[in-house]
Amino acid sequence: MEPRALVEQAVIPCLQVILVVLLIPLVIAYLQLVERKVLGFMQARLAPRRVGWHGLLQPIADAVKLLIKEDTIPARADRFLFTLAPIVSVVPALLALAVIPIGGVPFTLFGYEVRPYIADLDIGVLFLLAVGSLGIYGILLGGWASNSKYSLLGALRSGAQMISYEIPLGFALIGVMMLAGTASLVGIVEAQKAAGWWYVAPQILGFFCYFVSAVAETNRIPFDLPEAEAELVAGFHTEYSGMKFAFFFLAEYTNMIVVSALVTVAFFGGWLRPFPNVRALDWLENGWVLLVPLALGAFFGWMVDQRVGGGMRFLFVGGLLGGLIGFGIGAADLFGVATASAPQLAGAFWFGLKVSFFLFAYIWFRGTYPRYRYDQLMDLGWKWLLPMSIANVLLTGLVLLLRGGGAS
Amino acid sequence: MTGWLRTILLAELWVGLWTTLKNQFRPHVTVEYPRETVDLAPRFRGTPRLRYHPENGEELCIACHLCEVVCPCDCIHIVSEKKPEGKGKRLVSFEINLERCCFCGLCVDPCPTKPLTAIYMSHDYELADYSRTPFVAPLKTLLDGTTPHEYSK
Repeated sequence: MEPRALVEQAVIPCLQVILVVLLIPLVIAYLQLVERKVLGFMQARLAPRRVGWHGLLQPIADAVKLLIKEDTIPARADRFLFTLAPIVSVVPALLALAVIPIGGVPFTLFGYEVRPYIADLDIGVLFLLAVGSLGIYGILLGGWASNSKYSLLGALRSGAQMISYEIPLGFALIGVMMLAGTASLVGIVEAQKAAGWWYVAPQILGFFCYFVSAVAETNRIPFDLPEAEAELVAGFHTEYSGMKFAFFFLAEYTNMIVVSALVTVAFFGGWLRPFPNVRALDWLENGWVLLVPLALGAFFGWMVDQRVGGGMRFLFVGGLLGGLIGFGIGAADLFGVATASAPQLAGAFWFGLKVSFFLFAYIWFRGTYPRYRYDQLMDLGWKWLLPMSIANVLLTGLVLLLRGGGAS
Repeated sequence: MTGWLRTILLAELWVGLWTTLKNQFRPHVTVEYPRETVDLAPRFRGTPRLRYHPENGEELCIACHLCEVVCPCDCIHIVSEKKPEGKGKRLVSFEINLERCCFCGLCVDPCPTKPLTAIYMSHDYELADYSRTPFVAPLKTLLDGTTPHEYSK
């Protein structure tokens, strides 16, 4: 019994950590490719499609280029802080992924109990907010250590912006915590399951405040003032090149994933299927496998440029992949490798679908909106989002009070 | 009132998102140049070239020097001599300095040969080269044109 507990408590979480740390750069590399594709299509042009089939190897080429690129440190820069900054930036971003649950119920794999999250902290939301705000240090340190005016200005802007938007961000999540009665991310989703609806419905205002603040928090367009290239060259990472730059890049995209995952968990029911209490959609519990080829096919058909068109061909590819996945699940069940695996896989599917949508929204905003002016940015944060999020907290409290208190 | 409502509901932002979403599924406008080329309009003005006589296979040019005179950038240089027998002159050399040519097509207008003009604006536009010498196109190049390199990749 003792070694079993050791494996379940220590070895498996360690393996999960390694898996996440290895997987995230790969996911981000291809997220970058998807971003370039989507942006290209939004501008009625072709996206990268020279390296590999339809640009499939482009991320690899980019990574190799960044790896072998000369790593310059500006003269009279603070060498220690200059090197430390990208690490300080990327570690909290990866750390935040530890509490993101892809599913709620542990499943067994090779006879061992595996939880679909690395840690379920009682203070999960607080942990995310705390770790999320640590990322500012990386940007501030990097900007300061670069010994460059552009970097310093970018970093200062970033600091001011992230601190301003931290407040509505926190307030927006308080409404969710009040409804759920817990700050644990698994608990929040369980509460949504019990309540029978996603919290985006009662917390629409909170969702809006959260998502807008989160886009500002991750320094993405339309709030990418720290890297406003028209004014600041590239902001805090002007002087960075090679792998150090790649680390900042990694941190930005990891933060995007974390934000999308948190939106999914807090407002869109995490791993729950759509309309968890509508009986008519019960077939989705097992029928999600049918949606996999559809989703994959639609995705590939979309990513291939319009001239090749023929979405049917890619529906076929999607169907093949989906079939293989379904076959894999069936085989795993048959040989007893993993039992009762389907609900967790379904959860992972729904979770992935929702997170993908919000990642797409990030790219969508980038393709649509122009950058805010600095004073407009501060106006929006302090004069609109902050009062709105506080009003949301008060409103939620009032409704809870009138309904007899307690979590609903 | 409606203006106020539009502000609250962020109408402009939704319109923007809808526009980019629609664009996603519009056909792209990029032409991947070396592999595919655009269709040229009939009046497209590429490099000026000379025509052969459609019947006897000699050059159509009668060495009247009108194009040389009209050329605004002085890029045409013609040397002619009197024909040994019969009337008229014939070409000794005809050079167009493509480094100076502005592709205006004015040389075609006064050309007196009928019904085809001896000089015409061709559809050749792939002119890049490794040295400056080929840009002073001699008579042979002007008559026969150049074969552009095939793109292979």
